[in-house]
Amino acid sequence: MALFHRTESDAKNRTAETPSTGAPRRFRKTGVVAAAAAVVLALSACGGGASPQSDGGPVELRFSWWGSDKRAQLTQAAIAAFEAENPNIKIKPEYGDWSGYWDKLATQVAANDAPDIIQMDEKYITEYSTRGALLDLSKYEIDTSKLDEAALNAGKSEDGLTGIAAGINAATILANPSVFKAAGVELPDDKTWTWEDFGRISAEVTEKSPKGTYGSAAYGTDEASLGVWLRQNGKSLYTSDGKLGFEPSDIADWWAFLKQLSEKKAVPSASEVVEAEAAALDQSGLATGKNGLAFWWSNQLPALEKAAGTDLQILRFPSTTGKAADAKLWYKASQFWSASSRTKHPEETAKFINFLANNTKAGEALLADRGVYPNSDVRAAIEPKLTPADIKVIKFIDQIKGELGEAPAPPPKGAGAIQEIVKRYTSEVLFNRLSTEEAGKKAVDEMKSAIS
Amino acid sequence: MSAISELSTLKRRNGPMTAAEKKANGRDNKAAYIFLLPWLAGLVAITVGPMLMSLYLSFTDYNLLQPPEWVGLDNFIRMFADARLHNSLGVTFTYVFVGVPLQLGVALLIALVLDKGLRGLPFYRSVFYLPSLLGGSVAVAILWKQIFGTTGLVNQALAMFGIQGPGWISDPSTALGSIVLLHVWTFGAPMIIFLAGLRQIPVMYYEAAKVDGASTLQQFWRITLPMLSPIIFFNLVLQIIGSFQSFTQAFIVSGGNGGPSDSTMFFTLYLYQKGFGQFDMGYASAMAWFLLVIIGVFTAINFIAAKYWVFYDD
Repeated sequence: MALFHRTESDAKNRTAETPSTGAPRRFRKTGVVAAAAAVVLALSACGGGASPQSDGGPVELRFSWWGSDKRAQLTQAAIAAFEAENPNIKIKPEYGDWSGYWDKLATQVAANDAPDIIQMDEKYITEYSTRGALLDLSKYEIDTSKLDEAALNAGKSEDGLTGIAAGINAATILANPSVFKAAGVELPDDKTWTWEDFGRISAEVTEKSPKGTYGSAAYGTDEASLGVWLRQNGKSLYTSDGKLGFEPSDIADWWAFLKQLSEKKAVPSASEVVEAEAAALDQSGLATGKNGLAFWWSNQLPALEKAAGTDLQILRFPSTTGKAADAKLWYKASQFWSASSRTKHPEETAKFINFLANNTKAGEALLADRGVYPNSDVRAAIEPKLTPADIKVIKFIDQIKGELGEAPAPPPKGAGAIQEIVKRYTSEVLFNRLSTEEAGKKAVDEMKSAIS
Repeated sequence: MSAISELSTLKRRNGPMTAAEKKANGRDNKAAYIFLLPWLAGLVAITVGPMLMSLYLSFTDYNLLQPPEWVGLDNFIRMFADARLHNSLGVTFTYVFVGVPLQLGVALLIALVLDKGLRGLPFYRSVFYLPSLLGGSVAVAILWKQIFGTTGLVNQALAMFGIQGPGWISDPSTALGSIVLLHVWTFGAPMIIFLAGLRQIPVMYYEAAKVDGASTLQQFWRITLPMLSPIIFFNLVLQIIGSFQSFTQAFIVSGGNGGPSDSTMFFTLYLYQKGFGQFDMGYASAMAWFLLVIIGVFTAINFIAAKYWVFYDD
């Protein structure tokens, strides 16, 4: 009660607490002192970069990655195996969600506080490599002789070998057979289906399913499915000289087809699409049985099966011609192992990356969570340990080997911004706020300036 | 004035400060500075230092990974052509100029009701204050997302009446509205201050008005509002400054991207995206200083306008 028994003057004091014109004047002098102090602080921060290398003594390395809880468990097991072999090196894990990961990494690098070992993605590797933030791993002792050549090349650039592929991946469509069964629709034959089939089948599933269940998730929330579409139409996301590989009309066509899908309710409503974007893997439409089909990377199948509590099936993308070879899929390096160029312990960092890439014990811990192992020896050695879900993924990757299109050009600097642009204009289109042509024009403009 | 200066010259003529006196004076100052040191260190390291750094960065092209490069006014010039920035200004202004009056209105209304001498007032006061403590938090923003989702609480309630509600948060036409609502819901802090202000209005004014036959409404317009105007002003200034800087709610509710279709892309959120998402920290710094100017201008306008409507009793 006492709070309210204020005197009149108390109230005046309160109002006086609002920013008064007097305050800045008082700070002006301290501002000069502060400026000097800031310079000192800044200088001392700069000096912190290079400290002498410690030899022999215990070394602590920081290792950061993004991913699910399952990945965290598997990775911790790999770390434990490494530490058992190298008692002098401690690995400190730092992990989190994809969305927060990049903000944090950028800040850490800016603050000269980057983790020693960095899980890297192809969208960002050029950004970091060209700016000198990543170590050229070819200068250190890492055995690359057993690694898949295409995967190895994906980590190479003018700046050296800045990433070692952690796994091999492919863009896929995953199907939840129980949704199809409940609707009484047969699963499509992914060797012969076309985009028209995809739309027809999805719409049929929606029609024969309870309200709120859709034949397919919408594409358009990232650029992977756009990449497939463009490749099938003779274009590409990026060109080898780091430019955009398509025209506004190409992406407009892609959206026009999505709109058709949306109109016949083959995919969820615009609002539901927006909500699905924010959902974690466990909450995704495929995992919760609300979507019959959805767009995912092949290595995500085991985690999705676990979340869905049911078997899922991997399908090739539909093509324009109905021939599997025209689906134009490709092998992607799911993630890279990279190292900070400012690490104080490059030898030890390289040793750990070498362990992750080439040691069977690492393979036995990590299994296929980051995709199919690029090291053929490790891949063979861990086969008995794999779960049925892992085996399904590996089989799929093997099956499509003969059908692959040529390897896509690596994403240029600034490619990290593309997903957000795609996503934003997809919702502009789905909410009918922009025509597909307008959206195409604006999106391409923005993308061009992002990667220039 | 002249007398004082005469006095001081007189004093000096009589005898300047002795060395001992000077020393004592200096020692006093020193002690003061030593006591100030912890605060000063915090101010320099946490506030002023980074601010000066960001002022410098606002004139540079800084991608976080390489040293900043001086570009002069480029960043500020770029802002003129940045359509997404203009959109984010629109969103922020809408949020401030719809959200703040609504919130203060609700706060005043509830304060007036509570001031009528309700039984169990401390309880109600706490209940109404609670959202203020929680409203800015991540947890509540996540909860909000659930409540206003396509299949959320609100739509479930509407469904009982046969109404199919939109995805409040995922539809560009309603997303900002639901964040404004979240802001209005946190009316507790200004409400407490209004309550305190209402308690200070002397009862005799109302008694006199009643004797003169003034209606309740007249009493409100002629007594309550003018007497409360300094408090309203205080709340207005604080809320406007705070709302311009609002970030967490939009960040969480939109999943960090200001979506759908940039409809909840607050200025601060765009700034954050530019700086940490797109490696454009120089531009983000320039945006931060632009926001400071905007807030400064509106606060100044507030203070100037206050001369015409804020009534001080003495």
